[in-house]
This record gives sequence, structure tokens and C-alpha cells, in this order.
Amino acid sequence: MIKLTIDGKTIEAQEGTTVLKAAEEAGLYIPTLCNHPQLTPYGGCRMCMVDVEGARTLQPSCTMPAADGMVVNTHTDKVLNARKFVLTMIFSERNHFCMYCPVSDGDCELQNRAYDEEMTHWDLQPNWQPFEVDASHPFIILDNNRCILCRRCTRACGELVGNFTLGFEERGANSLLVADYNVPLGESTCISCGTCVQICPTGALIDRQSAYQGKEIEVDHHIGVCVECSVGCQRNVLTRDNRLVRIEGEWDAELNHGLLCDQGRFLPLEDDRGRLLTPLVRKDGSLKAATWEEALNTIAQGLGKGKGLAALASTRLPAEDLALFKSIFADNLHGELVTSLEEGKATASLAKLAEELGKPFESSLDNLKDTDAVLALELDLVEEHQVPGFFIKRQIPEGTTLVVADGKENKLAAHASVRLPLTAGEESSFLENLLQAIEGKSADEGLNRAAEVLKAAEKPCIIYGKTFAEKADAKALQHLLDLAEKLGAALIGVKGEANSMAAAQLGLEAPFTPNGYQSAYVLLGDEDPSQKLVKRLEEIPFVVVQAAYSSQASGSADVVLPVTMWAEQAGSYLSLDGRLQKLGQALDAPEGVLTSQAALIKVAEALAVDPDTDWKASLKARIPTVEMRED
Amino acid sequence: MTKPKVASDWLCGCAGCHMSFLDIDERILQVVELVDLRATPITDLKEPDKDGVVVGILEGGIANTHNEHVAKQMRERCKILVALGDCAVFGGVPAMRNFFGAEAALQRAYVDAESNDSEGKIPCSPELAELTRVRAVSEVVKVDLHIPGCPPHADVIFYALAELAQGRIPEIKDDMLHWH
Repeated sequence: MIKLTIDGKTIEAQEGTTVLKAAEEAGLYIPTLCNHPQLTPYGGCRMCMVDVEGARTLQPSCTMPAADGMVVNTHTDKVLNARKFVLTMIFSERNHFCMYCPVSDGDCELQNRAYDEEMTHWDLQPNWQPFEVDASHPFIILDNNRCILCRRCTRACGELVGNFTLGFEERGANSLLVADYNVPLGESTCISCGTCVQICPTGALIDRQSAYQGKEIEVDHHIGVCVECSVGCQRNVLTRDNRLVRIEGEWDAELNHGLLCDQGRFLPLEDDRGRLLTPLVRKDGSLKAATWEEALNTIAQGLGKGKGLAALASTRLPAEDLALFKSIFADNLHGELVTSLEEGKATASLAKLAEELGKPFESSLDNLKDTDAVLALELDLVEEHQVPGFFIKRQIPEGTTLVVADGKENKLAAHASVRLPLTAGEESSFLENLLQAIEGKSADEGLNRAAEVLKAAEKPCIIYGKTFAEKADAKALQHLLDLAEKLGAALIGVKGEANSMAAAQLGLEAPFTPNGYQSAYVLLGDEDPSQKLVKRLEEIPFVVVQAAYSSQASGSADVVLPVTMWAEQAGSYLSLDGRLQKLGQALDAPEGVLTSQAALIKVAEALAVDPDTDWKASLKARIPTVEMRED
Repeated sequence: MTKPKVASDWLCGCAGCHMSFLDIDERILQVVELVDLRATPITDLKEPDKDGVVVGILEGGIANTHNEHVAKQMRERCKILVALGDCAVFGGVPAMRNFFGAEAALQRAYVDAESNDSEGKIPCSPELAELTRVRAVSEVVKVDLHIPGCPPHADVIFYALAELAQGRIPEIKDDMLHWH
């Protein structure tokens, strides 16, 4: 620890820290603009200048290393004048007329800094140099006229996401934020993760969905887990007047620290499917609006039990709902098939392995954050489960090596230093060959290169996807364990949808194959039914669909129950690495629409069933593939 | 004690700041108790008194030679000049044309606009003031007090007038400070 004095207060700080961080940790405020807690200090804007005794000029506190005995002043006239001057220079550089801008009056860090310094005007007039506005992207608008050249976006794109799409062209006042080699953002390598928009301190990067829809002071915040896949990122859902305004990554989240992918951030606001607002019952061949009572009566009459009854639930639903579903349809009605819509494809083989081992064998996603070599088996983290992909991609410039083994087109392979062919179904022989290469007994050049980088790594990770979990046989899984042991590697299975692992814990993993079922109960929630599911359901004489949106599945059902979508319900989600997290209710459901859980309870009543509601105990009844933890 | 004289005028603005002034509602009675409201766009007198006023208030930026004349005259005839609203303080919405030039703005408005017929012409009477770059008032004459806002809130205007009437310079900060 070192000691320094800031504004007359003596504080202790870690050696190697900066003046800014030391001040912040001691609760002292120094204004900043280009600095961001998630990014490496940059020293670009000069907002955080401080007076260091003995230094010839003012120093940027964000990059100035704190030293023992240092005396720092943050409020001298020299510092205050410098701040105003810096702000005046920034304002005069481009088009910072606040009245045109959606982030004005509350959401703009530049404007807020000016308010803090009590600036009522600028002493320098703008430069009047116009730049083109790039509105080519489906979600993002890039307006260089409002850019203050702080480079938070370019640093976030590279340092946090590892995509390196954004960069700067030209120098000085002509500096231009561009995508790739100055192509329109909509035609660039941008993956629409939106981190740049979230981190931009001004209105230079705004999103189309929420611009002018509500300022910070006008919206409500709902922090909870993302339900778009099993990674379990934390999101901040912004609503206003019972309407989604914007979704942001939660900066304070331990796993994703602000990052989200397009699926988690932008796509939920693009949902334009038609809502189901009333129960429907098939009468004389066509679906007619009905009361809940009529619908429940029809279910009580038409839905069988035991053999001939199939029940399927979406893994986008909360664990509470899945446990209730299991209790009703498996434990009480003894349905012939009670499973999830994922049919356990991404989990069943792995869950079985954990049971055989008698202990978890997979590890936390955090291992990916400081890994030096990754083997990705039949998994494209650019297309799915993207945030762990960011963790890998952003470390590649620092020397992390990536080995991608896949038989299909795989976009992650573009970032790999070794690419290996792996035909689905041949996982066992592939891993056997790789093991041989690790023992130095292979003649295959690719395998030997992979073995070399994996062996040299201190913290290797092996990550695999749904295809691997589905195709790998017992032998392949044994090889996987051997490989992990030999390399000292962490194993990470990405599983599927948000509650894929909860469904596995509940044993909802049987395949849905035609078997002459007489009735089916499909708990679709807000999931889109697959064509395969729609076809299978057509063969079943009596089908109940519990869904938020109108679809082919609801259209061909005999009874339809309208339920909530993700933002209108609350519950728990078990991430791919065993973190049990909450999602709170952000929106009120339309009138007459129940949560999936409330609808299930009504159905249970109608069927005279008394389900077990201890969902947490049900989740823990099975040995998990990865240790479960509750935040 | 004689009440301090106050005059105001608008330049290249939208009259919104004067509307916001009227939004002080019944408090205007308190204002006229404190000040002698002279030439303003909402009173009959059109030019500030030749023998001067204490406070001169200008709304709008300076967009042409006439605005220049009005601003200079107000400066000559007042002791304290107030720039009221974002256009007077920064140039504001009209200053958008500076990024393209006055010629392009005239061409767009009078000739190219979709609502014009094929005979659209740019007005060119010698009686018309000549367009200039749109400037903040402070770029043309010395300004003593800036009250930004688009428009400044009625409460801010009332506070500022009340302070000025009592011989103090208002402090525009914290809740009073908004640029919009």
C-alpha cells in the first residue's frame, strides 16, 4: 500500500493504481469522459486533469500512476479553468447543439459535465464542419457530428467484445469513427452487440429502437437474467408506461459486466408476433374465443392421463414453472412422455455422465476470461451463446490460442489458429486421435499443432455445444474426461436455451417421437414452435397449447390458453454453468392473460391434481453436470 | 425608488422563449411591480428607450444584418444584456444551417422543397436583410448573462427577472441550468 494526499485528505491506495482509481476508491470525485470502469485507461479527453505538486503541468488522473507521498489537488483554479477549457474545446469541435439530440438533458455525459462546471455557454463557436450520418445499420445510428473522439466505442469493440469493427480514420479534428475500412456500419463486420451504443457518452452512437422514447429519468429499470440462451447474462430492462424502451447489459454483472449480444439486446424489441389475449376452444372445427372456465373444462374432458399423454414445455420458462409442469404431468398424471421442447438434446448425455461419475465435471464460464488456449468442439460461438465467444475473441490479440473442431461451417473458426475437421458422429475417434497427438503418437499435422498449443497452455478450456452433447457416445465422453485430465482443462458445456440445465435437472429430456399419443399438453410460453413440433402435434387428436403468441401450433390446437411473455413473468433460471439467477417482472400482462405458472395451477385444479411446489428441491434432486450456485 | 426599466426583443428564434416568459402566468404581476416593462414583442413600444434601460433581453441568434442592428442597438441602450434561450446563447436550431451555408438553406426552402411549384424563387428584395452565418449573441456583442434552455423554464425566467430587478446577477446553475 502507498499513501498519497488528495485535496488535503491522506488516502491509502494499492501500488500500481492510478490517481483516478485511488481517488474513486477513497470516495473522492474527479470528473471523466473518455474513462470507463470496464476499459483500459486512455487519457484522451483531458477532463480528469489534476494538479500534482511538483509536476510541470496538469496531469490526466486516469493514466497518472499513483505514487507514494504524491500530493494531488483536484479543485484549484488552474484545474477548474482547465476543465472548462477542455469542455469548451470539445463543444466547439463538432455539432453539439443539444436541442437536436436524443440524449440531451440527463443522458449525455458531456452535457452533464458542463452542467457540473456550471457552464451556461461556450466561449468558442463551433467549427461548422459537417460529417455524414451513417444510418445503414438496422439497430444503430452512427453520427460523427456528435462524437467527442473519446474512443470508448472502439476500445469496447476490441477490448471487451473482441470484434475490432470500429476504428478511426484521419487525425485531429478530422478524425472519423468508421466501421472496418470505412464501410457503412450496416455492411460491416459489426455483430450488433450494441456495446458501443451503451458505452458512448454522447449521442454519437444511438439505437433506433429507443431514441426519443424515454430519458433515464422517465424510465423504470428491471435488472434480471437474460432468457435468450443459457449463458445467463444480466440485463437491465428499461420500460416506460408498460412498454419496453431499451435493454442494456448490466455493467455490475459478474459474468457479462455490461456485455450482451444482439439476441439479448435488440431482437426482443423487434418481436412483432401476434399476442394471444383470450382462451380459445375448437368448436365445429374452428377455434373460438372462450372463457377460462370453458377452456379448462374442455381440457379436463379431453386431456388423458398415463399412457397416451404427452407433455412438453419450453426451456425459456422459469424453473418454478418447469418444476410445476413436471409435478403435474409426470408425478401426478403419469404422462407417457413428459419432456422439454429441447428434448434433452443439449444435456441428456452429459447429465447421465455426471450421474455415473457421482459428481459434477463441468466448470464456470469465468474460466474463459483468463484462459490461454481454448478447444471448441462443434460449437460456433459467433452464431450462438455469443458472450462467451467475446471472452475468447478479445483475448486472441494477447496470445490466447483457439482450436476449433467442427464439420460444419463455423464462424468462430475465422478466429482460430488451428481448425480441425470433426464429422458429427465421429467424436469418439476424433478425441482418441487428439489424445494420441497429445501423447506424441500422431502423424496428423493439424492434430499435432492443436496438441502443441493445448499442452503449452496453463489454463486451457474445452467448450462444446449441442451437437457434441447429442452425438457423443459414452466412449467419446470418456475421452473428453481423459483429455481434460491430461491437459488440466476446464470443461464447459453450453447447453441450449435459458433453462436448458433446469430442465435437465428435472429430467425433462426424453425425445419426442411419434408413438400414437392421444393427447398432448404443450407449454410453449413465448417460444416459437419448430416445424417439426407443429407436424408432430398434427398427428395427435387432442392438443392443448399454452402460449403467449399466435403460431401454427396454437392455430392447430384444440384448446389454447393465453399466457405471459418473458417480461411479464418472474422466476428463476439456471445458467449453463449452474448459476441460479432471478428474472423479475418488468411489464404488466394484458388483461385476461395469466403467467404460465398461474395457468398451470388453474389446469391442475381443473384436473383435480395437487402438484408439489418445492421447485428448488426438485432441481437439486439430481447430480448436476456443474455445481449449482445461487447469487 | 424608481423601478428598473427592462426591454426585450427577439432575433432569429421561434418566440418560444417569450412564450415561456408568459408562462410565468400570474407572477407577471409581481414582475411589473418590480420592473418597468418597456419595449418588448408583447408590448406596444417597439424599440428600447433612447435614454436606456437597465436590463435588455434578447431571444434568438443573429442570422442576418437586421438581427445585428437590433442586437447592437440593445447593447448600446442597456446596462445588463441577457441572452435568453439556446438560440441566443449558442445559435440554436437556426444555426443548423451553418453546416450547409445560407445559400443551400434558401435553395432548399424556396426552390427545392417538395411543397414548392416549379416557379419557386429565392426572395431578393433590397429591403430584405442580408443573411449571415447564424451566431450566438455573444459573438456579436458582449453578453452579461446567459440563460440557456429551449426554452428556459418559466421558473428560471421568473427567478432571473426577480434577481435582476433587485439589482443582483442571478446564478444559473443546478436545477436552473438546462440546455435542452
